[in-house]
Amino acid sequence: MPALFSEGFLLGLSTGFYCMASCLPLLAPYLMAEGRSVWKINFIIFLEFLAGRFAAYMLFAFLAVMAGKAGRYAMPPWLLPACMLSCGLIMAALAVFRVASGTSACLLRADLDPFFRKLPVALGFVTGISICPPFAAGFLRLLELADVVKGFCYFSGFFTATSLFISPVLAGTPWIGRRANEIGRLTLLIAGLWYTGLGISGLM
Amino acid sequence: MGDKIPAGERAGAAGLFSALVFLPVFFLSAQAAGGVSRVYTLAWSLFAAGTAFAIVYTGRVSFFRRIFFSVSALAFLIHFKLSLLGGVFTAPPSEAPFCHIAMAPYFLNYLYQQYLALMSGGWKLWGPLTLGAAWLFITLAIGRGWCSWACFYGGIDDGLCSLARRPLLKTGHWAQKLRDLPAALLVFMLLVSLALTLPVYCLWLCPFKLTEAFLDGGAVVRRLQYWLMFASLAALVIGPLLTKKRIFCSFLCPFAAWQAFWGRLNPFRVTPDDKKCTGCMACAGICPVMAIKTGPGGRPEILPYCNLCGQCLEACPGGLRYTVFGRDLPARRGWAAGLASAENFFIYSALTLGAVFSALWGPAALRDLVQLTVR
Repeated sequence: MPALFSEGFLLGLSTGFYCMASCLPLLAPYLMAEGRSVWKINFIIFLEFLAGRFAAYMLFAFLAVMAGKAGRYAMPPWLLPACMLSCGLIMAALAVFRVASGTSACLLRADLDPFFRKLPVALGFVTGISICPPFAAGFLRLLELADVVKGFCYFSGFFTATSLFISPVLAGTPWIGRRANEIGRLTLLIAGLWYTGLGISGLM
Repeated sequence: MGDKIPAGERAGAAGLFSALVFLPVFFLSAQAAGGVSRVYTLAWSLFAAGTAFAIVYTGRVSFFRRIFFSVSALAFLIHFKLSLLGGVFTAPPSEAPFCHIAMAPYFLNYLYQQYLALMSGGWKLWGPLTLGAAWLFITLAIGRGWCSWACFYGGIDDGLCSLARRPLLKTGHWAQKLRDLPAALLVFMLLVSLALTLPVYCLWLCPFKLTEAFLDGGAVVRRLQYWLMFASLAALVIGPLLTKKRIFCSFLCPFAAWQAFWGRLNPFRVTPDDKKCTGCMACAGICPVMAIKTGPGGRPEILPYCNLCGQCLEACPGGLRYTVFGRDLPARRGWAAGLASAENFFIYSALTLGAVFSALWGPAALRDLVQLTVR
């Protein structure tokens, strides 16, 4: 098992830059839009995003192993674009609500459905499934392993290494202010529309 | 120079100022223009010097700046863009062209390329390094003034702004709400350009490419890119004609946001005079880039997007002025010493830099026109 963890970790290290480049267009606008000058809050958002990614990785590992066991060596072609579309829609919807509601009314306010307060988890989840290109490399290995526990070990290593690459995004967050939040919301809207477009184009 | 100074002294000061502009412009233009005949660089330098004279003699900064700025942009279109149209493009660019607007949203990619160059032992990756050094120099010299004194694209927007006598469409409250759109575009494009390792701005939004060779191969994406390119072109050409505002520069240019951020390195500012300002907000109405809003106490608040064009100074003489970090320089007596004001230091930097930079295409455009006429 440690050998498999290391193997996944090394794969993550070697592809971490691409993982970072793929995740940043989603995570950075969200952090800009919802982050505060208090580092702790931003760190919690980051952890929630990672938790979403981790859940996606594990689910993916499970499905890939099942597919390998069943001898199906390909994912359904609509899966990735559909995830990308949902990712884009979540981002765009959040940005639209936030921009339209102005600065006072907050979509993520405490008395609202707790689901909306876990958006970073949802974003991390759909990012983990759809956006990350190095996934393809791990996917082939999982098909070959065809063992759920081994698959989890392998992808845990992969997740740990790639998370290291994403963590520098927190470095700029202590300077987030009200204006950065406003710019972040517009960025979130543009990024949401972009991924929605990519998803639709992929589905077509 | 105000009206209080006698005409003779004003002419003397303006003459000295224009000579000070002419000398470096002529010397450096000859280097920048390459193989173009000195006659054309001389003509270009005289044009810049004439602009300097007119500004100092009349005190109308933005009026004469706009003439110089728009002619420079027109010269760029004539020489560079039309010659591009004659060229053949066979493949989309995998790297950003050396264009300042593309440079800003491609910055992370430049850093990555530089990192790769360092890792492979080839640290001398000249393109981005040279561009970066030039940008740093420009930012230290004129900062946000680039967008109103040197940018060959901004000149189109600015020139078209002045053509309409009055706005057919008024930019309402929405304009201020969306004023941060270029900053959002910049952040988004920085990240997506890095993710895709492609110059996303050039491929999706640039209205100046005037070619379809850069566009995507797929029909749906290609159509979308066409739409965005034409929307962007409309913002550049039709927007200013309808609103008398620089719509492209204010809402779509990522370099404007980039320069608004880094422009704080530069000392020059436009600052309201609290004693003379009546709070009429005429300055906000006339600002072509919507960079003035009503601040605390109903007084104008200058946003970081101000690009020091001087339009508000003409709308409200005395109510606003050029300063160095918000402060005036000590007043000096005598017509020549009187030139040492914050306004003149800024105009000197901006006009000289703009004229030398535009010598890359200005003299060549003159030559093209002469050759076209002779034929």
